[in-house]
This record gives sequence, C-alpha cells and structure tokens, in this order.
Amino acid sequence: MSRMKFFCDDNRCIECFACSVACAEAHELPTGISRRKVITLFDGIEGKEVSTSIACMHCTDAPCEQVCPVDCFYIREDGIVLHDKEKCIGCGYCLYACPFGAPQFPRDGAFGAKGAMDKCTMCAGGPLETNSEKERHLYGQNRIAEGRVPMCAAVCSTNALLVGDAESVSTIYRKRVAGRGKGA
Amino acid sequence: MKKYIVMFIAALCLASVAYAADSQIWGEMRIQNILGYGQEESWKLGPLFTMLQHKYFAWIFLGVLLGVPLVFFLHYKIVGPKVFPHSHNKHYAFNLFHRTVHQIAAVSFLVLLPTGFIIVFGDFFGGGTLVRMAKNLHGLFTIPFAIVVIPMALMWLKEALFNLEDVKWFMILGGYLSKEKQIINATQFNAGQKMWYWVAILGGITMILSGAFMFFLDFKMEMLHNITGLSQIDLLRVAAILHNVMGFAVVALFITHVYMSMFAIKGAVHSIITGYVEEEEVKILHNAWYKKLKDQGKF
Ligand code: SF4
Ligand code: SF4
Repeated sequence: MSRMKFFCDDNRCIECFACSVACAEAHELPTGISRRKVITLFDGIEGKEVSTSIACMHCTDAPCEQVCPVDCFYIREDGIVLHDKEKCIGCGYCLYACPFGAPQFPRDGAFGAKGAMDKCTMCAGGPLETNSEKERHLYGQNRIAEGRVPMCAAVCSTNALLVGDAESVSTIYRKRVAGRGKGA
Repeated sequence: MKKYIVMFIAALCLASVAYAADSQIWGEMRIQNILGYGQEESWKLGPLFTMLQHKYFAWIFLGVLLGVPLVFFLHYKIVGPKVFPHSHNKHYAFNLFHRTVHQIAAVSFLVLLPTGFIIVFGDFFGGGTLVRMAKNLHGLFTIPFAIVVIPMALMWLKEALFNLEDVKWFMILGGYLSKEKQIINATQFNAGQKMWYWVAILGGITMILSGAFMFFLDFKMEMLHNITGLSQIDLLRVAAILHNVMGFAVVALFITHVYMSMFAIKGAVHSIITGYVEEEEVKILHNAWYKKLKDQGKF
C-alpha cells in the first residue's frame, strides 16, 4: 500500500509563502490559523540560509493519535492522518505530542477557551460525507477525493513541495539530487 | 481579600497580553519548538509525554480510582468504623471563615475530580459535547479553588507542620488498623490530615499553575524559558506531565480524606459543617490537642 507523504526540497524553496497563503485561502481558514508555514533557518547567513515549508507531516505512528484522550484521530489506508472535529475537546495534547507544532486552536470559546483542533488534512477533508457542505465547512476542500494534489503543492512555483506516494516522492527527489550532483 | 482580587485581575491582564503578542508556539519561537522535540541535546519531552500519555496515565488513574476505594472497602469490612457518641461535650473548633473556605474548596474538588476523570477517559465517553463540557467545567471550577487555596493554606499552616509525634502516627497508621480505640497523641491535625493538607495545598497550586499553562497555551514566560532553557512547547509538555502525576496523588488523598471523614470516623464530617468537634473523638484521636483544650477549660 502506498503511503502519502509531503516533502519540501529546501534547495528549491524560495520562501515565497505561496503554499501557506493558497492553503489558507482554499480552505477559508479563520485568521490566526495557518495549516502550512514556511520557516527559514540561519536567516541572512550566506551559504547557510535555508527555507522549508512545514505542515502536518502525516507521521507513521503519529504521536498525536497516540495521546488524544477522546481518540478522535484516524489514519487512512493511504497514511493521511485525519481527525474528527466534532469529537475533539480542544485539550491540546496532540500539540504537545506533535514534533512539528502542526495542531492549532482557534480561540472561539467563552473566556478564550480553545476550539476544536485544526491542522493540515493533506486536502483530504474529514470523517464526514465526502464533499458535503459540512465537511467543507469544518475541514476545507477535499481535493484528494477529486483526484487533485493538495493546494500547497499545486501552487508551488518551483516544485519544491512534493506530495504523493512516498515511493514516487523519493524517486523524484533522488533524480533531482543525482541531476544536480549535490544536496541530498 | 483585595489582594486576591488584584491578583486575579492581574492574571487576566497577563493572559490577554499573551494573546495580543506574537505567538510563542506558531510565531517566532516555532523553530525552537520543533527542534526541541527529540533532538540530541534536548530533554526529549515530546516522546516522553507521548509515551506516558499513550501507555500509562489513563491506567494509573484507573488503578487509583478503583484501587484506593477497594482498600477502604476492605478496611471498612474488616476493621470497621470508629464510632463516637455525638451527644457529649462539644468544642467549637472551626469558625465560619474556616468552614466557608473549606466548603468552597470541597465543592470545587467535587467538580474538578469527576470532570478530570471524564477527560482522562474521554474515549470511553465518546468525546464531543459531554467531554468538552467536562473540560470547560474543569477549567471553570479551578477559579473558586484558586481563590480559596491561599487563605486555606494560611489558616491551617501552623497546625499542619509536622512534629515528632507524627512519626509514631505513621508507625501505627493512626491506629486505624485496629478496632480498639487507642489513644493517639496527635495535635489538632494528625499526620494523615497534615499529609493531605500539603498535597491539597502544594499539589493544588501545582495543578492550578500547570492547568493555567495548558489553558492559555500561548502565555509569555521569558523568565521560565531563561531559567529552564525549555521552549514553549516543552514547558507545556512539563505542565501536562506534572498535571497528570500530581493528579494521582491528589485523587488518592482526596478519596482518603472523604472516606475518613464520612465512613472511618462516623460523622466526623459534621465538624466542618457545624464547626463543632466532639469530646471523646478529640480525646482519643487528637490527645495532645485535647489536653491543650482541657487546660484552657474548653471542655
Ligand atoms: S499532527 Fe503532528 S504528530 Fe500528528 S501526524 Fe501531523 S505532524 Fe505528525
Ligand atoms: S485537542 Fe482534540 S484532537 Fe487534540 S488531543 Fe485533544 S481532543 Fe484530541
């Protein structure tokens, strides 16, 4: 079985934030939530500066899934890690467990109580009926169901952001590395 | 009282400042947060929290929830309760202030514990509205407890300091293992009550602080970061671990406290409702206190 993975080729990422903005727009995310973020390390240091784009990495053995007290995560056959917003109690445990700071929380409750967790779905929606009004409202577009690649990868102008079955992602990347002779 | 109101308002202000400022988790600090997960020089708190929460916490809570009452059930069946005549002389030991403060703490605990358990066993309850409500009540009822915890700590501090008699108390576990009414030379609080005092107060404060961290999530604590060298997310992991581990102790001793006052010493609970303690009960279970009261002509 194939496993869906993201990979950001930091040799190509030009820190344009298109992925982040496109994601927020496509899924109509509330302000303050950005499922995909671009980070830059060694900012301004010549030769060392590197940028990459991070969202939920859809981990194998996902730690978020292991700690959730209401068990609201489910991992699809293809490895996409999704969760049920109607079950989620906004406790934040998934955030503590996640190595990438992917889970986020809108502050929509009284006294600033955390709302249901929100994270990247790899554009695969949620547990509700595919492409239903409600699924779209809670989880954003379900592009995977339509056979399209996630929004972030679709708009990446340098093709730095790769997505798909782990095997093919690594094949593409290996070819690139071989082609430029460095940068593995 | 004014002091507490000011403290409360200050806490609220701090919280709103934290919101307005740049995010500690998803803003500037997110790289440190990501690096902190399981890197070589880090404390590896991410994997640690994941392992504890995934494999142990819920089971330990279940063990405490079933185990402690089971032990007391057996105690009740085998040793039985201590019964004192409540028609005798009484001494007014807890004034209205003592009782009000204690009652507020009691009510908060009666909400905090069950809601805490509903969160821990959230999947059993199916998640969603019920568990979310429990989580919100859990946060809400922290407020009354937070308001009374300091006055409660201060009003019983002197009585709760340990002394040599307490060692003896521990050796015979306060005489609760025998059916006889042995005379115990304890002061107003015996070693068991003192132990509960410290767990309730220090544990309670730890629970409030770690809970507040988890609730506010994005608080700014430069000082804590500097002292511990931990990133925001690692501080949250510490808070979550502490909150759970401290929870075991608080739950175990709370159940003990309730059992003692309601069952093991029949009717002892009335003393914190009416304020009066009963002569023979004091004479036997708190003999040192009894002598003092007697000298003062209070019995
Ligand atoms: S939320 Fe975090 S832990 Fe869970 S799958 Fe995504 S990256 Fe992994
Ligand atoms: S915030 Fe929601 S998804 Fe995350 S661990 Fe808590 S209940 Fe589960």
